[in-house]
Amino acid sequence: MDLHTTHEKRAGEDLFGLLFLVLSVGMLWQSYAIAGFSALSSPGAFPLAASAVMLTASVIVVVGNLRRRRGIDDGPVLPGSVAVFVGLVAVYAVALGPLGFLLASLLFLFAGMKILYRGGWVASAVIALGSLLAIYVVFRIVFQVVLPEGIVPEREWMAAIGNLFSSGGTE
Amino acid sequence: MEALSYFLTAWIDPQLLFLVGLGTFAGIYIGAIPGLSVTMAVSILISFTFAWDVNNALCLMVGIFMGGVYGGSRTAILLNIPGAPSAIATALDGFPLARRGEAGEAIGIATVMSVLGGFVGIVALAVAAPFISEFALTFQPRDYMLLAILGILLVGSLSGESLAKGVVAGCLGLLIGTVGLDPLTAEERFTFGFVGMWNGISFIAVMIGLFGVSEALGQLQHVDTAAVKQKISRIVPSFDAVRKYLPLSLQSSSIGVIIGALPGVGGDIAALMAYDFAKRTTRNPEVPFGEGAKEGLVAPESANNAAVGGAFIPMLTLGIPGDAVTAIFLGALFIHGLNPGPMLMIEQPTMFWFMVGNLTLANLFLLVFGLTGIRIFTKIVEIPKGILIPLILLLSVVGAYAVNNAITDVYWMLGFGVLGYFMKLYGYQVGPVILGVILARLIDENWRRAIISEQESLGQFFARLFASPLSVSLFTLVVVLVLSQTPLWTWARRRRVRA
Amino acid sequence: MRQLLIGAAAALTLSAVPVLAEFPEKDIQGIIQWGAGGSTDTVMRAVTPAAEDVLGEDIVMTNRTGGVGAIATKFVQAQKADGYTLLMGAENPQLYKVMGLGDTDYSDFIPISILARGVPILVANADAPFGTFEEFVTYAQAHPGEVKIGSTGPGGLPSVITAMMTSQVDLPVTAVPYDGDGPALTALMGGAIDVMPAVLGAALENIRAGRIKALTVFETQANPVLPDVPPVTDAYPAFADYLPWGPFFGVFVKQGTPDDAVAALQAAYAEAAQQTDFGKLMDDRGYALMNMSGEEAVDFLNRWQSVTSWLVFDAGIAKRSPDDFGIPRP
Repeated sequence: MDLHTTHEKRAGEDLFGLLFLVLSVGMLWQSYAIAGFSALSSPGAFPLAASAVMLTASVIVVVGNLRRRRGIDDGPVLPGSVAVFVGLVAVYAVALGPLGFLLASLLFLFAGMKILYRGGWVASAVIALGSLLAIYVVFRIVFQVVLPEGIVPEREWMAAIGNLFSSGGTE
Repeated sequence: MEALSYFLTAWIDPQLLFLVGLGTFAGIYIGAIPGLSVTMAVSILISFTFAWDVNNALCLMVGIFMGGVYGGSRTAILLNIPGAPSAIATALDGFPLARRGEAGEAIGIATVMSVLGGFVGIVALAVAAPFISEFALTFQPRDYMLLAILGILLVGSLSGESLAKGVVAGCLGLLIGTVGLDPLTAEERFTFGFVGMWNGISFIAVMIGLFGVSEALGQLQHVDTAAVKQKISRIVPSFDAVRKYLPLSLQSSSIGVIIGALPGVGGDIAALMAYDFAKRTTRNPEVPFGEGAKEGLVAPESANNAAVGGAFIPMLTLGIPGDAVTAIFLGALFIHGLNPGPMLMIEQPTMFWFMVGNLTLANLFLLVFGLTGIRIFTKIVEIPKGILIPLILLLSVVGAYAVNNAITDVYWMLGFGVLGYFMKLYGYQVGPVILGVILARLIDENWRRAIISEQESLGQFFARLFASPLSVSLFTLVVVLVLSQTPLWTWARRRRVRA
Repeated sequence: MRQLLIGAAAALTLSAVPVLAEFPEKDIQGIIQWGAGGSTDTVMRAVTPAAEDVLGEDIVMTNRTGGVGAIATKFVQAQKADGYTLLMGAENPQLYKVMGLGDTDYSDFIPISILARGVPILVANADAPFGTFEEFVTYAQAHPGEVKIGSTGPGGLPSVITAMMTSQVDLPVTAVPYDGDGPALTALMGGAIDVMPAVLGAALENIRAGRIKALTVFETQANPVLPDVPPVTDAYPAFADYLPWGPFFGVFVKQGTPDDAVAALQAAYAEAAQQTDFGKLMDDRGYALMNMSGEEAVDFLNRWQSVTSWLVFDAGIAKRSPDDFGIPRP
């Protein structure tokens, strides 16, 4: 096995290696801050060891990167679509609490499919709604995973639907 | 003879038979969806089946366990998103196969090998449970630590092109694994004063981020390329193929049984260790590992299903859970008025053979359900990416959220998704990160237990280590593996070859 | 006119009561402090189905683990005080203040039911060179630092019992920490540790199988499940000051929850805990069934907090003094 990468380097690879180096220095410092070198059994002992190894390996990576040649340009490192989707998921995660799972997910799926699938409004909406319902049934109803309710009063709806079915019976 | 009648309880009762089948079927899908875990499903079943007869409840739970461990391989192969931690190793060679249009064949092999592994686990449980559980009990903290170090050395096999980058990734994982309140002293580590960090960073969120989200992000650039048409001519592997991989499958299964039987260590580590074993021992695979080697599929799939039988070994003989799922089984037995413990085998041998029978049955169902419906399943890959990617991202979010019902986990997942995207771009493998997260606590806690037990004396620690045959063997293995990964070793080998 | 209005209002309220007061109108969430398969989880999943039957709505249980139960506690505190979010927890929040884990405890909650209490015992490896509590003390004193005692981190049952023991006798032992009593008992059987304070239920089956031996019960009387194991007060009567003591399980709602919701939940859990199945489950596991609510439960919680906080503080494992929070010495 080779210790180093052999192929030509991509844009930003030096920076990424450096970021890991900085991270490992930070972690080393934070590990030291847990308990110093107080005891072999201290809570900080293992993090210290792990971050020291990480630092060493990061140095090797950075030095290795310096020796390698920049390759031909093979496309942007962060294409627009990736950035857009990272943003979309972030907005979705933020909206999950206040809007609730059903509404936030519907908007997310619809937006995502509209951007990527390039289908019509109706097609995107139908697929988004259908798949969301399937996911909701599996997670919320079958596996009782409690998803954020937000502004959608789903428990009241469910109780109402339940009553609809039971009202003819025992009650 | 009596044992046989207990063994067959579920085979001849139509209701129990149905429940095992239903459980196995449901388990495959629970395992396949990242974010739905067997642990979660089984613990919901505890209250759901509270009013049931204990046998009915156990049949359903056993089916789900067996199916779930296997089900993780489906999404690992088709989408490069392991549905469960035990399928991480499966993705390494399974996904490249799907990309070549051989998803059907890959799932077929995974199924047959899972069933084979499952049987090895069951046979070990039926024949050698008392011996294996006594052996598992002799593992001292230092042995667990050595075992975990053996595990972390897998970084060598998972690093891909650069060992240094693999080590960086592995250490990052180890550090992520220590975030939160230290379970031994309640000291805060890397929490930066946030209560939300006390619980640490959810391992599942890291996994879904690094595998699922980063994969989905990476695929965004290829939205318009047509999906790979899957060849679905051959699904059931040929007899020759099964015979060819049989030795590897049996060896991997043995690893799975032992790791599974050790309390606190489960199928995820077993599968990774088996993968490493396969990579080290297979000479001249048809396709290199990481590019779609069948051996890389056979080993982890055999091992993780063998670990199911393994996990039941300490549970049924001693009342000690072999992993998280068997811990819930123990709870279920308590609730239903049985007292699992060392006396269970003596006072209620029925239960032992009943469980062995159920596991066997679930394993047979696995073969049936695993090999049918593959055609429809592989169609997932052929769904237009414009629909598939938003769906994968949605499932990732729900999955990350569902583990602890925390939105914070969703942010972590997204963060690790972006990190994973760049790591892949720059030639870092994400496998070592997960490996580190899985093993961090095992190494950290057991090292500290071991050194506390020796009153902080390194000399005494090594004296005790060399006095125990088990520790010495593990230690030797660690030393050999470390040496084999250093440049010194390759240099020496090259010289020998030249000379 | 005024009377008419009052009458009308009364009539309205009366007629409205059956519709409005019917708590619950929808699913209830139960937040379990500990992980799936743990003893809190098991107890809650065993008792809740019966309470669901009484209430006529589902109680959806979710495990929110972490921070010795603080994550779940904080979550329930952040919800509306409407009775639709239950905290299903163990004793831990009563020690958060002195252990420096936050400023909440069960005084921020209304107890729906304190279901059961665990009985602490001291168990030893079957091959340990001592068979009683006194022999253990003598042996530990003769071999300082050599006896390894299992622990589950500061504030856990083993640490409190160890604090209780060291408050009475000189005990030079080495505490080896584990993640929970399950892994620690496994280590005890495997010989990695020598003794371990544990809850009776967790150790019972292994005692019956002879894999570990019980040295003493931390009660004033022997437990019916293990009649031959002497209570600690036989040898050291001074322990009686701390007893009865033990980890407990309870269901709570946030302070400020409407009385009708509290009453409905209390009635449901009281009935559920009375069921023979649950009683038998608790008996078999060596738990003392309590089924307490209202004033009685509040008194129990306060006494527990005062005894335990001072014990851990005096043993030097607390971060802050109970005095800082106005917790009186027992």
